[in-house]
Amino acid sequence: MRRRRLRRVRNRRAVLAIAVCAIAAAPLAAQAAQSPTPPGAAPPSPPASLVVALGLRDPSLDAGVVRGGEVVLARGFEVELARLLARRLGARVERLVELRPAVRLIAGGASSWQLALAGIEPSPQARAAGVLSDPYLPSDAAVVLRRHLPRPRSIADLRGHLLCALRGSDEARAIATVVRPKAAPLLATGLDRLREQLRTGACDVALVPVVDTGRFLRGHGSQLGPAAGRIPSGRGFVVAVGRGGGLDVAAVNAALQRMRNDGTLGRLARTWLGLDPATLRILR
Amino acid sequence: MWFPRVARRIRGDERELRRVRRVRLAIPAAVGACALVTAAPALGGPEARHGQVWFVRDGEPVAVSRTAPAMPGLLRALLAGPTRAERAKGLRSAIPAGTDVRELTIARRIVTVDLGGRFVSGRDEASLTTRIGQLVRTFRAVPGVVGVRIRVEGGIPVGLFPGYNLRRTIRAPLASQSAPSLRDTQQLLADLGFMAQTGVTGRPGDETSVAVLAFEKWTGMPRDGVLGADVLEALSRATRPEPTRHAPGKRVELLLDRQLAVAIVNDRVERVFHISSGSGGRTPSGSFRVYRKERLSWSVPFSVWMPWASYFTGGIAFHEYSYVPAYPASHGCVRMMARDAPLMYAFATTGTPVDVIRGRV
Repeated sequence: MRRRRLRRVRNRRAVLAIAVCAIAAAPLAAQAAQSPTPPGAAPPSPPASLVVALGLRDPSLDAGVVRGGEVVLARGFEVELARLLARRLGARVERLVELRPAVRLIAGGASSWQLALAGIEPSPQARAAGVLSDPYLPSDAAVVLRRHLPRPRSIADLRGHLLCALRGSDEARAIATVVRPKAAPLLATGLDRLREQLRTGACDVALVPVVDTGRFLRGHGSQLGPAAGRIPSGRGFVVAVGRGGGLDVAAVNAALQRMRNDGTLGRLARTWLGLDPATLRILR
Repeated sequence: MWFPRVARRIRGDERELRRVRRVRLAIPAAVGACALVTAAPALGGPEARHGQVWFVRDGEPVAVSRTAPAMPGLLRALLAGPTRAERAKGLRSAIPAGTDVRELTIARRIVTVDLGGRFVSGRDEASLTTRIGQLVRTFRAVPGVVGVRIRVEGGIPVGLFPGYNLRRTIRAPLASQSAPSLRDTQQLLADLGFMAQTGVTGRPGDETSVAVLAFEKWTGMPRDGVLGADVLEALSRATRPEPTRHAPGKRVELLLDRQLAVAIVNDRVERVFHISSGSGGRTPSGSFRVYRKERLSWSVPFSVWMPWASYFTGGIAFHEYSYVPAYPASHGCVRMMARDAPLMYAFATTGTPVDVIRGRV
């Protein structure tokens, strides 16, 4: 009896000691994670090979075959962008891994990847997981017209029309908060249904995520009107740079800017998304 | 005295219970054995048997018979594609030529097929979706198979095949896009303005037939109200009707040649109604306004009640009538279906312009 009680007390002590150590070490670990390069010290040289995390959501942005957490046969806008970005950073993509689901990004701590391109929009959770770059794609709402409708010159021109968007989407919110049309909008459950509403004329103007606009129009160009512009959301898709991965976000931003300036980003968007969002006129 | 009797009864009950348990155990075992006996040859038996492989013709899935020794043979036949004769008949396969099979296993009546990387080649979404449909249909046609797991190069394809979540077992292919359901067709008719949204039920009925009839009248097709292949084809290309004339505000256009009444708001067609106007040109053409409305009107010359009457010139009105044929049949009034007449009554308030147009302008 006495021996058993002694063992129990010892066990409790051990557990208590581990807990105290963990609590004491947490701020140090967090500090280490937040500042990969101590002030004053020279920044570490970028790694020669990178591990890139992907979201694997659709064939246009990124898709592939997942084999034991690793992604093979990967393709899409973000896959190509990751490869080109790595090249501009003087590295190569060693491995592609799956970031599944995207909320894994909020787990925090040191990342198992150096770059994540997974349709990440800036949020406090995303910032907790990695340092976020400038946007490489806007997440605006593209304005697609039905056939024979005159092009709007401003958001005010859209107010008299019947609008439609995907139910529960950012575009539906943009209709309510930015456009504020006279008639209640039609809300569709899927992109196919939205396209059908626009084709038949059940609605005059569809607000579509700008990254999906090319897919929305592809093969239906003769039945629908053009993408007449975009309503800015002020947000966009960003690259998350993993903490402690040896990559500097400033270098990533500079590389993205060069790719934007020399037309690489536009070319990639046209190839994979079917449309370069930057070419759409901003409606205000 | 009673104790041994009770003990005997208990012993008897226990024996009965054991017998019931034995039977309970025996039934699933027998069922399982039967299932194995019936499923085993279907899944992988060595003898030659007839199976189906699925190809496509004009986007529609088509089954073709093949004699194959077992399921691997059937898969090989699918991957080989249609024969020359079948190709001549328009059959095609969306599965890329040269796709190889890495592994084919069957467990718990679920087929797991691991294909080479060529299977995911190409970016045409319709083709990618179709090839999964071909695989699933082919395996599901084998008796005993309840689902298919698709792997590529030993991994799970994610995001590559729109509409399919290949992390899970696929039990049925996606519905064919070229054969819309009745609900889809009703939704299309509602989108185009030929029926109310409340008519989208997925069930056939009078409301759908009347909407089809109105659509046929608008497009100049034979007026039978039947949802045939020609109507479906025309619907797939149709756009919402445009007003004949342009003017702001709320108004009605009555198209005598098409036998349709069109409700318009700010140059946008809200609804198209099937009507029957006066025979022998008894409904006058011209521009009028609704000047009198009666919830239940009595026609003195014809001694008949006319519910939901909206008069727009003389004794000519829109009103409900029990018989609304596809041709002009009235004495001059505009007959409407019982479902539509209250809607027109509510829409055409006093003063609403009514343009009666004899021919398409």
